[in-house]
Amino acid sequence: MAINLITSLVLVMRNFFLLIFYPYKTMRKIGLEKDYYQLLIISSLVFLYFKFVYFLRDNPYPATLIFLTFVFNFFLTVFFFYFLSKVFEKKLNWKSFVFTFSYSLFPTLIWFLSTSILYILLPPPRTFSLLGKGFSIFFISYSLSLLVWKLILVYLAVRFSSRQTFFRVFYMIILYLIWFIPYSIFLYQFKLFRIPFI
Amino acid sequence: MKTINIRLKKKLKEVFSTEPNDLGVNFLTIYFKKITAYFKIIPFIYVVPFTFLISIILYFLLGRLLVGLVTILQYGY
Repeated sequence: MAINLITSLVLVMRNFFLLIFYPYKTMRKIGLEKDYYQLLIISSLVFLYFKFVYFLRDNPYPATLIFLTFVFNFFLTVFFFYFLSKVFEKKLNWKSFVFTFSYSLFPTLIWFLSTSILYILLPPPRTFSLLGKGFSIFFISYSLSLLVWKLILVYLAVRFSSRQTFFRVFYMIILYLIWFIPYSIFLYQFKLFRIPFI
Repeated sequence: MKTINIRLKKKLKEVFSTEPNDLGVNFLTIYFKKITAYFKIIPFIYVVPFTFLISIILYFLLGRLLVGLVTILQYGY
């Protein structure tokens, strides 16, 4: 088991770097993945992140509850796309959705982790000084870059798991946002997530 | 030879697992393929300068609002 876990860890690291350099080819390969240890490693990283921010948040819920909410949201997303894709294509594998969506969590994880570290190093509010404005431009640029990467990965995740063409993938993502945005506000009201972790 | 054959079959199966994109109109499909080619290999080469430019434009458009937005985002973890 230890050897399998180490092998999967190496594969996760390899896929992570390949998703930066070759997102298209890598996501296509991930869509055919069967190694469940990789999912375990990615979910452990997410859990560790929630444990870490537990000490930063004021009036927090337990990290385990936040993690379980994340898992619920994740599977809600996965099954939404899976069942919607089933309308067009009968022969689909739901595991492919789980693998591709798990790997598309990397930009989210990096953004949340770096923002929480920056919160310690450079706590808000930002000032209107030259340095404050400079940092703001850098932060927006950094966040937008990760958002674009996230959008690329989500598009590819839906594309290779559902095997649908561009317009169908685009409409599916729009349909997803129609219910997910109000749902995010609901999560915000319950102070579970300020920005949805997905 | 047999190993190469198996590897080739595996690769072909992977590549043809998804049908190519067709947007219905020929010129749209051509431009779509040209644009998406930039996102397939090392997209950050184009994404980072593009987002930096967008941030500067946003700063000139929004001014102090952008600084306020960063403050809000920094509480968003």
